[in-house]
Amino acid sequence: MYQVTYEVEEFAGNIDVVADSYANVDEIEDVGDLDDEELLMQAQAGVQSIPEQVRSFLGHLYANLQSDKQRDLAYNYEIQFPKLSDKYYAKSSWPEPQYVAALVNDDGLFLILYRELYYRHIYSRLHPSLETRFRSFENYCDLFNHILNSDGPTDLELPNQWLWDIVDEFIYQFQSFCTHRSRLNKRSEEEIALLKENSQVWSTYSVLNVLYSLIQKSNIGEQLRAQQQGADAAKVAGEFGARPLYKMLGYFSIVGLVRVHCMLGDYTLALQTLENVELGNARALYTRVMACHVSVYYYVGFAYLMMGRYADATQAFVHILTFVSRTRQYHQRQQVDAASKKAEQMYALLAVAVSLSPVRVDENIHAYLREKYGDQQHRIQRGGEEALDVISELYLFACPKFITPNPPNYDAAEVAEPQAYQLRTFLREARLQLVVPTLRSFLKLYTTMGIDRLSSFLEMEPAELKNQLMVYKQRCRQVKWVGGSDLLSGELVPSTDLDFALQMDMIFIAESRVGRRYADWFIRNANKVHDLVVTLENRQDAVAANAGKPLAEAEVVA
Amino acid sequence: MSVSSSFVRPTTRPDEIHRLLTDVERYNPSNTVLLEDYLARQCANPDSTSNHDLMANLALLKLYQFNPEMLDLDVIRRILAKALISAIPADFNLCLYLLTDEVCKDASIAKLLALRESLERAQFVKFWRDMYDPEDEEEESVVDGIAGFDNGLRKLILAEITATYQKIPLRDVQDMVNLDEEAVLRLAKENGWTVDGPVISLPLKAEVKASVISESVKFEQLTKMLSAANDI
Repeated sequence: MYQVTYEVEEFAGNIDVVADSYANVDEIEDVGDLDDEELLMQAQAGVQSIPEQVRSFLGHLYANLQSDKQRDLAYNYEIQFPKLSDKYYAKSSWPEPQYVAALVNDDGLFLILYRELYYRHIYSRLHPSLETRFRSFENYCDLFNHILNSDGPTDLELPNQWLWDIVDEFIYQFQSFCTHRSRLNKRSEEEIALLKENSQVWSTYSVLNVLYSLIQKSNIGEQLRAQQQGADAAKVAGEFGARPLYKMLGYFSIVGLVRVHCMLGDYTLALQTLENVELGNARALYTRVMACHVSVYYYVGFAYLMMGRYADATQAFVHILTFVSRTRQYHQRQQVDAASKKAEQMYALLAVAVSLSPVRVDENIHAYLREKYGDQQHRIQRGGEEALDVISELYLFACPKFITPNPPNYDAAEVAEPQAYQLRTFLREARLQLVVPTLRSFLKLYTTMGIDRLSSFLEMEPAELKNQLMVYKQRCRQVKWVGGSDLLSGELVPSTDLDFALQMDMIFIAESRVGRRYADWFIRNANKVHDLVVTLENRQDAVAANAGKPLAEAEVVA
Repeated sequence: MSVSSSFVRPTTRPDEIHRLLTDVERYNPSNTVLLEDYLARQCANPDSTSNHDLMANLALLKLYQFNPEMLDLDVIRRILAKALISAIPADFNLCLYLLTDEVCKDASIAKLLALRESLERAQFVKFWRDMYDPEDEEEESVVDGIAGFDNGLRKLILAEITATYQKIPLRDVQDMVNLDEEAVLRLAKENGWTVDGPVISLPLKAEVKASVISESVKFEQLTKMLSAANDI
């Protein structure tokens, strides 16, 4: 392997250097003139300033971590933390970790976890300074060092949602840092000097290193492969991978890698990374955390879209959008909010995919799509420059944030713009697809037609029209995934209902029509009636059972 | 129907390269040389069915992406030229996604992009004209060192023609594949086309005829109804 442990250690060493070099900047001002007594008083005041409710929360969180009460931890994390954040820290950061230390016996591991929450809160509600970004990175290094470089597995266990959020946030902050450093005109000279000095902080290699190390440590690839083959995953899990913490972190890192690969424009590698993750399996591990589930399908759909596999993209988006709309009520508000935001983006991408390669989708999804993006879809299908503008608009609203893996040349005026570059490259392909709807709308009306006639309709040279017909033929074949664990594989299938052949200057056209779909309609309504009957019967039973009891109670049941 | 083979391991890929691609070794900059050598072997092989390994070339582009100081424009040019004659049209764009505006400004690479545009738009006559433009001084360098480039391309273009036409003037085919009458007649013989004076008849790939796609009901859709029927 690529000297993973060695790298991580070396890397932690570097961090100390980094920490020292910029630690001087702020602490001198704060601490320089104070003596010990004043410091102590300041610390006490700091602890005192923490509201009672928050102090009690931190106490519980600490105690639950110590005694490994997963259910309580999940409650603390998923319900209480966001509530307290809203109530006390809507516009400020959580209490300084140094003050919290006094409440939790200065417990190192707890403070690392606390700091992760503390920085995450700053990222989501405030504007993190460059120093905060450095510090947060340093804290992630501490956390992953603890998990990856201890002699044996750590005893720590955390709820799945929390683990997912850690991996997801780690990547988000990496992306945010890359964007931050590339906005040269907004950076001060001091900041640029600091960035130049600390080029290894949030470096792409270090982030990938963490994700790959988590995957390797947990043997998650081997575990998933064993599971697929019906073997016992526990046998190949190893000392670390047998623990839920390592297993889930490894798994989430795979999903995280997919995101990183997409941010770098490497769509094949993104899909290759998922080779052991069974898409479409209702019991797959990614279904345990809604955000993870949504993330998998968003990036898979996006990667397919960029590869020009519009039918596969459509399928991925429709699958997850159906899931989100059906399970909305079973999830926490916070998770639903996050998922809804991603869902909106996916509807936009779906609108693009479906306009470029029309296909029948689920009725509910179709109805929403028409209501929200009907106008845009219509404009795309009309073709021309306007269509490209509409596609760009939808794309920029919905695409992931792209990054350049290396620091920009801080002394140059120009920086790379990966966002615009990826869009332009995508449009090279999408633009050709626009030939299809235009030609199709004319060809549909005839069974035979001369080239000269069609070229006068389209106001196009006959020679160019013949070229366009060849483009149409090519664009109507698409690679489509046909199942299996390899998402890259697929078969070449026709993606249109309208075919033709050219004999000299004459076009012979044939259309295949989709028959009306009665069965689907009857099945759905039969099921609906059945559900209704069952509900009515249950009520009747309940009323009958309560017949002997006082009236008031029976009414409540009814 | 043929399977998209860009992602399947080609028979010509050595074990050493395969291991590298399926491992974190793919990020190790010292492997750049290995992948560059492998690309050179792909370029030297004129057999268009076995001489392209997209995954290996994408891995090489990724190493350049991470280590821009190692980036070699001539290698990128050859990777793109190989993707241009790949039987899978999407290959070219997948390579492009890993590049930057900066790289695309290079004269040879910009020219390849323009050639690709003519190909995508099926403007084959324009393609050959631009490719062998006597005014262009850099003409040779764009596909320099790619064995079998012209013939690889002709194969692609012929595939487009046979997919679209059933009857086509001989003269048009000549222009589209940039060959003289004699050579096209030879091609016709090899492929079993009928030549009737100035017109070539191509064999039917699939008959074009109208049909009705009827709905198919899967058993899974009926499970709920059947289990309810069972209760009665």
